[in-house]
Amino acid sequence: MALEQLSDVVQRCQALSDDSYTTEDHDVFSVCGRTCIEEGDSVQVLSIVLDEKNQDIVRCMGWNLLPSLIQVLLKKQDSKISPCLAIFRHLLQTCRPKELLIGLLEQLEQDDPDTIAESLHLLLNPLQKVLLCLGSRKASSLGMTLSSVLDQVAKLPLPHTKEQEEDDVFSLCRTCTDLIDFVKPFVHEARQNLLNGGEQNKSTNKTAGEQGGDKEDELRTELLKFSMKTLSHPLLELQLRDPDTLAVSPLRNFATEILNTLRAIGESLPSLVFQPVLKRKQVEGFLEEEVRYPKESLASLAHLVFVHHLAADTFPSVFSSVFCLRCNMEHVFLLLSRTEESRIQKGLELYEKSLVRLEDGSLPSDLLEIKSFLTVPQNLVKVMTMCPQHDLRTRGLKVLQLSIDKFDTEAKYNFFQYMLKTSHHSGVEGYVIKNIKIQIDNALQPGKSNAWFEGPQLLPLLRKVLILPDGPETDLLQYLDRVMESLNLLRYLVIRDKATENQTGIWTELYKIEDTFLKPLRVGVNMSRAHYERELHNTMETKKGKTKEESVLSVSVGKEKLPNMTSKSQIQALHSALHTFDMIESVLVRIQELTEGKENL
Amino acid sequence: LKMADEPTREWSDEQLKSDDLPKKDIIKFIQDNAAHSFLNEQKLLGNIKNVAKTAKKEQLIIAYNQLFESKRFKGTEPIEEVTEQVRTVKIEEKAKDVEVVDEGPPKYFKSVLKKGDKSNFPKKGDNVSCWYTGSLEDGTVFDTNIPTTARKKKQTKPLTFKVGLGRVIRGWDEAILTMSKGETARVEIEPEWAYGRKGLPDSKIPPNAKLIFEVELVAVD
Repeated sequence: MALEQLSDVVQRCQALSDDSYTTEDHDVFSVCGRTCIEEGDSVQVLSIVLDEKNQDIVRCMGWNLLPSLIQVLLKKQDSKISPCLAIFRHLLQTCRPKELLIGLLEQLEQDDPDTIAESLHLLLNPLQKVLLCLGSRKASSLGMTLSSVLDQVAKLPLPHTKEQEEDDVFSLCRTCTDLIDFVKPFVHEARQNLLNGGEQNKSTNKTAGEQGGDKEDELRTELLKFSMKTLSHPLLELQLRDPDTLAVSPLRNFATEILNTLRAIGESLPSLVFQPVLKRKQVEGFLEEEVRYPKESLASLAHLVFVHHLAADTFPSVFSSVFCLRCNMEHVFLLLSRTEESRIQKGLELYEKSLVRLEDGSLPSDLLEIKSFLTVPQNLVKVMTMCPQHDLRTRGLKVLQLSIDKFDTEAKYNFFQYMLKTSHHSGVEGYVIKNIKIQIDNALQPGKSNAWFEGPQLLPLLRKVLILPDGPETDLLQYLDRVMESLNLLRYLVIRDKATENQTGIWTELYKIEDTFLKPLRVGVNMSRAHYERELHNTMETKKGKTKEESVLSVSVGKEKLPNMTSKSQIQALHSALHTFDMIESVLVRIQELTEGKENL
Repeated sequence: LKMADEPTREWSDEQLKSDDLPKKDIIKFIQDNAAHSFLNEQKLLGNIKNVAKTAKKEQLIIAYNQLFESKRFKGTEPIEEVTEQVRTVKIEEKAKDVEVVDEGPPKYFKSVLKKGDKSNFPKKGDNVSCWYTGSLEDGTVFDTNIPTTARKKKQTKPLTFKVGLGRVIRGWDEAILTMSKGETARVEIEPEWAYGRKGLPDSKIPPNAKLIFEVELVAVD
């Protein structure tokens, strides 16, 4: 039935000129043609389409058959493919590029990952051919196409392990490879334009903005937009494997090709990577700077260059390591501000790679006047204390220590003060105090004396350490890390620094420390101990009574209510707290022993 | 709370007035033993030589005597004293750093291969553009921006950056400031002014590498 109608309308139109086809003619052709294809009559449709007499009709209306054709081709049922493929190819050669483009782009939109990957694999090459037919008008169409393609790529699941990349179950790797093949001719054209533009410049003395290359600029802009987008997704999400881990990696190739694309369109990788610090002039064009070079994309680029060493051969080896650090700090700040595991990991990697190039003790204190040198550690603290992934927390701490090691003594001094003031976390503060102890220990060694960790300069810092945040009411359990490290430091000082030498000034300070730190701490320990002993007593009494305790509140995770803490666990916790107070007290007593009688020398 | 035993008078009045006792000895004694605020009031802070230039012997004798009368020795003053010291230490430390930086010979050596125009020398902060090739002492070329073919030369641009701001290795910053537009030079840079003890990890530049560059300065701002 449909086939007859199709033949009829085609025959009727053969006699007409193509501007007299009616809307009804179009509709009948479309509907019937599609039906024929879907019902399996594609051989007949093929012969209609190939018929010389029908070429005008095919040119005007043929593209309407695309949806059905592509559906068939995607289903990959062998019996139907061959004629459909032939129809498809003929249409691509015959129909108008603009209309083909619309038809093809529509078919890119699929829902499930398998079909998405298949449709991209099927359609990228035809799309490329169609776009190349658009001549100098191709730029905006290319842009539209790339945008749609990347929207589809974003729906594909990403491989997380090396094995997953090798298996490529969801075809992301194949898609990326197809994508690179797709953009190749356009990149080549942009590269040629750049070369020719350069020549024109020389011969006519025109400025870059005056080149007859508005269309060429559009092409470059679309390719730039595309590259920047891919840097964010999928590249920033993916874990690239280095050659010794995975010799052949389509994803690593993809990343490398994106960098090559940037170079081909005239972007300088150093300028992009160092952009946060360089003052870039406003580039003329129809995109704002921020939009043109999204910060996240630049951070991703920096990671590819400095961590994976992609395009290393073309990146100049003349920039100072401190300058690279300064620029990368901005990227690191951005990455560590996010919560996604992929971004945090890359932020830490980039930070680490930048620090490792520097010698210990080489960074001067004036770097701390740069905002990112303060905000990055703040982000690190967040990672160390709040990131759900244990590995990232551990790595964050490792990187923090690495960054401390690179500062010179004055910078360390100022950094420690800053961290004590701003980290608001007992564990971090304890860690910083441990570092202070190490620095004092260094300074006290013969020949290594410095003005910051001994003598009068040290006292302001010590005063910030040897203090109880809330006086005697300080919650000792909450602040345990900090309190213990402070006590350890004090004990260390009174042992290591002879009262007769007093290199650190601690002995002259002791009477004050007694008032501001030791006395309130003793009071606090006693109060806390009394409180917890009472709690323990009550809990044991209640347990003896064997009555079910009514808790004041309950905690639910998901939909499950957590069981109440058993009496046994409660008692364990209380014992643990009491043990902690004993620990604090033992150090207090020891300090007292060590300082008794020596204060009055 | 006393820090140390009180200091004793080292000189009698006669000894003080005598020409045999140089000013700087008195100044040193007072600096070693007096509280910071006392020194400040008496204008006896700072480098002994400088103080000796400005202070008269009579003033010093008076100060010396006043010190023992008022007993304003080190360790007798409250917190402010320490803070003052802290401030003073900070300033001195900075000054010392600046001196250290100027000392020592330059850690690079430049030989001119082709003379420049000898009039356009870059200043700190100027944009400069260079073609360059970098090699190690053993001749390995680790980096160059000079394209191999004529065709590629059209699309390659020279390296452009702001000179003298620490954006490049120190050897480059220093050497280029001595070059004029059009000059080509061979610059040998000691590791301290290149990539030092660390080198460039994961690259051809090993630790403690001396780098040899051939640089052509093509443009200045």
